[in-house]
Amino acid sequence: MMLLDVKKMQTYIGQYHILQGISLEVPEGYVTVLIGRNGAGKTTTLRSIMGLNPPTKGSIEFNGEMIHGLPTYTIARKGMAFVPEDQGIFSQLTVDENFRIAMLKEDKETMDRKYWLLDIFPDLKVKLKIKAGSLSGGQKQMLSIARALVNNNKVLLIDEPSKGLAPIIVEKLAAAIKQIKDHTTIVLVEQNFWLASAVGERYYIIDDGQTVHQGAMEELIKDKGLQKHYLGIGVKE
Amino acid sequence: MDIFVNLTVAGLATGMMYYLLASGLSLVYGLMGVLNFAHGTVFMYGCYAGVFVFNHTGSFAAGLAAALSAGAAVGWIMEKVVISRVYGNHISQILLTTGLMLVLNELIKIPFGSNILPAFQPEALQGSWVIGGSIVIVKYRVFLIVLGLIVAVTMNMVIARTKLGMTVRAGVQNPDMVQALGINIKRVFNLVFVIGSALAALGGALMAPALGAVNPEIGLMYQMTGFMVVVIGGMGSFIGTAFSAALVGLASSYTAYLYPDASTAVIVIVMIIVLLVKPSGLFGKGVE
Amino acid sequence: MQQLKTGTPGIPRLFNTNWLVQLIIVLILAVMPLIAGRPTLNLLVLIFCMSVYAMSYDILLGYTGIVSFGHALFFGIGAYGVAIYIAQTKATMGYLLLAILVSLIISTILSFFIGFLSLRIKNTYYAMITLAFAQVGVILAEKARHLTNGYDGMTFRIPSVLMNKTLFYYAALAFLITAFIFLWRFTNSPTGRVLAAIRENEQRATFLGFNVLRYKIISTIVAGITACLAGSFYAIHMRFVSTSVLTVSKTVDALLATVIGGVGSLYGAILGTTIINFAGEYLSKLAKVSVIFERWYIIFGLLYILIVLFAPHGVLGLLCKIKNKLFSAIKSK
Repeated sequence: MMLLDVKKMQTYIGQYHILQGISLEVPEGYVTVLIGRNGAGKTTTLRSIMGLNPPTKGSIEFNGEMIHGLPTYTIARKGMAFVPEDQGIFSQLTVDENFRIAMLKEDKETMDRKYWLLDIFPDLKVKLKIKAGSLSGGQKQMLSIARALVNNNKVLLIDEPSKGLAPIIVEKLAAAIKQIKDHTTIVLVEQNFWLASAVGERYYIIDDGQTVHQGAMEELIKDKGLQKHYLGIGVKE
Repeated sequence: MDIFVNLTVAGLATGMMYYLLASGLSLVYGLMGVLNFAHGTVFMYGCYAGVFVFNHTGSFAAGLAAALSAGAAVGWIMEKVVISRVYGNHISQILLTTGLMLVLNELIKIPFGSNILPAFQPEALQGSWVIGGSIVIVKYRVFLIVLGLIVAVTMNMVIARTKLGMTVRAGVQNPDMVQALGINIKRVFNLVFVIGSALAALGGALMAPALGAVNPEIGLMYQMTGFMVVVIGGMGSFIGTAFSAALVGLASSYTAYLYPDASTAVIVIVMIIVLLVKPSGLFGKGVE
Repeated sequence: MQQLKTGTPGIPRLFNTNWLVQLIIVLILAVMPLIAGRPTLNLLVLIFCMSVYAMSYDILLGYTGIVSFGHALFFGIGAYGVAIYIAQTKATMGYLLLAILVSLIISTILSFFIGFLSLRIKNTYYAMITLAFAQVGVILAEKARHLTNGYDGMTFRIPSVLMNKTLFYYAALAFLITAFIFLWRFTNSPTGRVLAAIRENEQRATFLGFNVLRYKIISTIVAGITACLAGSFYAIHMRFVSTSVLTVSKTVDALLATVIGGVGSLYGAILGTTIINFAGEYLSKLAKVSVIFERWYIIFGLLYILIVLFAPHGVLGLLCKIKNKLFSAIKSK
C-alpha cells in the first residue's frame, strides 16, 4: 500500500522552476531514500510535500487523501513529520520543552512514547532540562528526530541528517534510525551514500528537479556505474 | 530630597505604563516581524475607552475592562483584516499600519471631537501619603506601579510557563518549524497581536488619569516613546524593555521638572547614543 | 515559508507617457494665469511645490525602498531657513538665495548624520528614528520663539520681484519641471539603478559588491535637499511658516500623495499630490456645508489602505491598466 504517492509534482521558488517533475511512491513501513547531487531539489521535494513550498502542479496523496495545497499545520496533524536540514531545534527552549511543543496531545500514549524515545536516545534523557541550543550537533539531530516521533506520525521526512556530523556520530545515527524504522515509514534525503545504503530499502535518484531512477537499495549498491553517473565522481562507500 | 522621591515615583509609574505599551510592540515585532505603527493609537483608544466608561458608570474597574476589550477588538480587526495579508513584507506592513493609524486617529474624533477630554482619578486612589512630614507620595502613581508590576509579572510567567508562551518563544525563533509541528501559527500571531493591543489599551486607560486629560494626538507621542523604549532596551528582550522603560520613565520625569518639554529631546539623545554604541539595544541579542 | 501574497511597491513597467501628452499638459498649465482665477492659481502653485516634495519622498520610498517619517524635517528646514533669515535681514533676492543655500547645507549634513545613524540597522527602525528627529525639530521650533514665533508661526516679507503672482506662478512651474528633470535623470543614472537594485533585494546588492549604506545615504541626501527646496518655495508662496511644516502630518502628506498617486514613479507623485489637493479643497468646502464630510481625511486614509493592499501601483497604475485594456480591446477589433 502506497502511504505517500506523489505524482508529477512541480514547484517554483519565486521565479525559479526548482522541481520539474517529481514522482514518488512511498510504501508503508519502509525506508525510502532520496539521493542526488547538490541542488538537485531533494530538500525542496520534502518541503513541497510538507506544504512549506506548495507545488504548482501535480498531486500528493497521503494515506488516501489529497494533501497538496493544504496548509502545513494541517498536513502535520494528519501524521506527517518533518526533520529539516537545520534540525529546526528551538535553541531557546529546553529539550523537554522541545518535546512538549511537538506533542499534539499530552495523553498517556504520547508520554509513553516520549519515554521510549528517551531510551533510544539516552543523551537526551540526561539533558532534559537544559536549553537545546547547548546540545552538540549530533544530539540536536537526535532531538529533532525523536521530537518528530513523539506523536504517532505515519511518515517521517528527514532531510540530510548526517550533514556536519562526524563519521562516528553518523554511525550512531544509522543505528538509531534502524531502531525506529520498524515503527514508522521514513523518507530520507541523504547525500552521504554510506548512511543512505545502511538504512535505505528503496531509493529514488533526483537530478535537476526530476526523479530519474528508482529501485531497491541493494541493486543501487551493486550498480557502481549508476552511482557514478548521478551522484558524482568517486562516490565513497 | 522629597522632590527627588516624588519624581522617582512619578518616573517609575510612567515607566510602568511605557512597559505595558512597549512590551506589546516588542512582542509583536519579535514574533511576527511586524512594526505596528498603530500601536500608540490603540493606547490612545484605551485612554478614551477608560475615561468614557468611568465618567459614565462611575466604576474605574469597568473603565479598565472597557479599555482591555476595546484594545483587543481593535487589535483583532487590524490583524485579521489588514495585517495578516502582508506578513513577510516589511514595507507594506509599515505603510499599512501607518494607514490604520491615520484612519483610527480620525475615527475617534467623530464621537469625541479633537478637543481634550478630561480624565479623573477614582476617588479611592486620589490624594497622597505624606511621609516624614515632607516626602509626598502620590497614591495613584503607586497604584500604577503596583498594577503594572502585576501585569508584567503575569505576562512573563505566561511566556515562560504556559504552552502558549512556549509556542510564542518557539515561533519567534522559527515559525516554519512551529507550523511543521502542527500548530497553526497564524492563530498564534493573531492572539499575540490581540494581547499586545489589549495591553497597550490598558496602559492607556491607566495612564489617562495621571495625565489629567486625553486628546487624539497623544497616540503618536506614545507610539514614538514606546518605540524608543524598545530600541534602547533591545528589540525582543523582555528584561531590556523593562529596564529601558524604567529608564525612560525616570529620565522624562526628571527632565520634565528641570527643563519642561525637553523630555522628548532627552530620550532621543539617549536613543542616539545607544544607536551609536550598541545598535541592537542595551540588552539586545546581537545584530538584527 | 508558505507563499504569502505581497504587494510590493516598485517601479511600474512602461508608463508610456507620450512626450506629446506631457507637452500639452505643460502648455495648458502655462496658459492658466490667463484663464483661471486667483484661488485656482494659488492652488496650482501649492500643488507644484508639494509635488516636488512628494517626488523627493518617492526617491526614498519608491526608488530605494526606505520609509521615512521625518521627511518634513527637511521641508521645514527649507521653509524656516528662508523665513528666519529674511526676517532677520532684508527681503532681497540676494539674501533669499543665501538663505536657501544655507538651508541646503544644513539639510545635507543632517540627512547624512541621520542616515548614517539609522540606516545601519533595519529599515524598519529608520521610520521611527526619523520621526523622533522630526519631533525634536518641532520642539526646537516651538521653543525658539524669538526666532520663529513658536507655535503661532511667523510671517515675513518676500523680495518685491516675487510678489508678482503671475511671475511666481511661472517660477513655481519652472521649479517643478526642473526638479522633475533632475530627479528623472538621477533615478535613471547608474546610481539610481543601484538604488533600484537595493530596493529589490538588498542582500544581493551587497553581494554584488555595492556599499549599500553609501548609496542609501546618497538617496537620503538627494531626497533631503529636494524636500528642502520645496519647503523654501512653499514658504515664499505662503509668506507664513509655522511648526506645522515640521510635523508628522507634513510627512504623511508626502506619504499619502506618493502612495495614492503611484509609488516608484515621479509622475505618480505629481498625480497623487494633485488628487489630494484638489479633493481636499473640494471636500473641505463640502464639510462646511454638511457635517457628514467633516472627517473627510478618513477617506484618504482608507483609499491609501486599499491601494497598498490591492493596487500597489496607485492610481497611475490603475490608469495604465485601464489604458492597456482599452488599447488591446481596440486592437483586437
